[in-house]
Amino acid sequence: MLREFCQWLYDSTIGTSIRESIWVFPIIETIHVLGITLLIGTIAILDLRLLGLVLRREEVSRLASQILPLTWAGFGVMFVSGFLLFWAEAAKCYANPAFRIKLLLLILVGLNPLVFHLTIYRSVLSWNEQLVTPLRARLAGFFSLTLWGGIVCAGRAIAYFQK
Amino acid sequence: MIYLSNNTGEFMETLYHLAIPEAFVLEGINMKTKLAIGGFLAIALLIVPLLAHHSFSAEFDGTKPIHLQGVVTRIEWANPHVYFYIDVTGADDKVENWGCETAGPGGLLRRGWKRDSLKVGDHVTVNGYRAKDGSRLADARHITLPDGRRIFGGTPGDGGPGDPAAKSPGA
Repeated sequence: MLREFCQWLYDSTIGTSIRESIWVFPIIETIHVLGITLLIGTIAILDLRLLGLVLRREEVSRLASQILPLTWAGFGVMFVSGFLLFWAEAAKCYANPAFRIKLLLLILVGLNPLVFHLTIYRSVLSWNEQLVTPLRARLAGFFSLTLWGGIVCAGRAIAYFQK
Repeated sequence: MIYLSNNTGEFMETLYHLAIPEAFVLEGINMKTKLAIGGFLAIALLIVPLLAHHSFSAEFDGTKPIHLQGVVTRIEWANPHVYFYIDVTGADDKVENWGCETAGPGGLLRRGWKRDSLKVGDHVTVNGYRAKDGSRLADARHITLPDGRRIFGGTPGDGGPGDPAAKSPGA
């Protein structure tokens, strides 16, 4: 079912023209790589603040509200460019172990902020100015950095398992 | 306690100050943390060049050259690598299908290898290197097209044999 869908995407006109293009594919690829800086760079700032490693004089909520729009913009760039690359290579991605690990990590990395915002972040006003944030906030920062790092590595590894 | 020689410690501290902008420098950060961050950066600096530009040696074995002659059965004109498949008849008349990996469409076009330069049914000669996993896959370094042109098929900068972008004398 999923495999048929991937094959259908792969064989579609748009998928085929991206795959066979001279410029479009590398341009999308470049945008996808540049987008990492916007997405993970902004995420890292907040994560490192939660860990108490940078910008410790800034209130967490103020930092978060300023950074979040940039993170979402980065996510938009990454999702669109990433989906276009997947579209071009869908049938090969389906069987690619690195791609599967990447998707799994993406699900986990999505759960992390969900838990964070529904739990410890609700009481942010009480620890907003702490140099060292509560353990659960630090854990959220740690998991975020680790998972995003893993996603970049798995993404890079896709190329080495593409047959 | 981690023992570090003075020089190593100084190097890591310098790395830390080079990497962390003034505005981010932590107040009251202790030397141990600085050394840890510096050490992490040193390891990262060592690993990054290893990851980059090794698409040849990641998949193929430079010590296992292979010479293939056969008939094209399929062509995948695709990014990021073009693949073509050939039926190779062995000495015992057994036919084996081999996959040949080359650069992407852009790279091939710059060398004058157009999309229709190779067609199903064409007879080609490939000089390349076998895949490390032992499968019937080769990195096609040089391909002799049906019109007689011998074209470099590798990806520039992949560090493989004959890489025009490599500086080593073996290139």
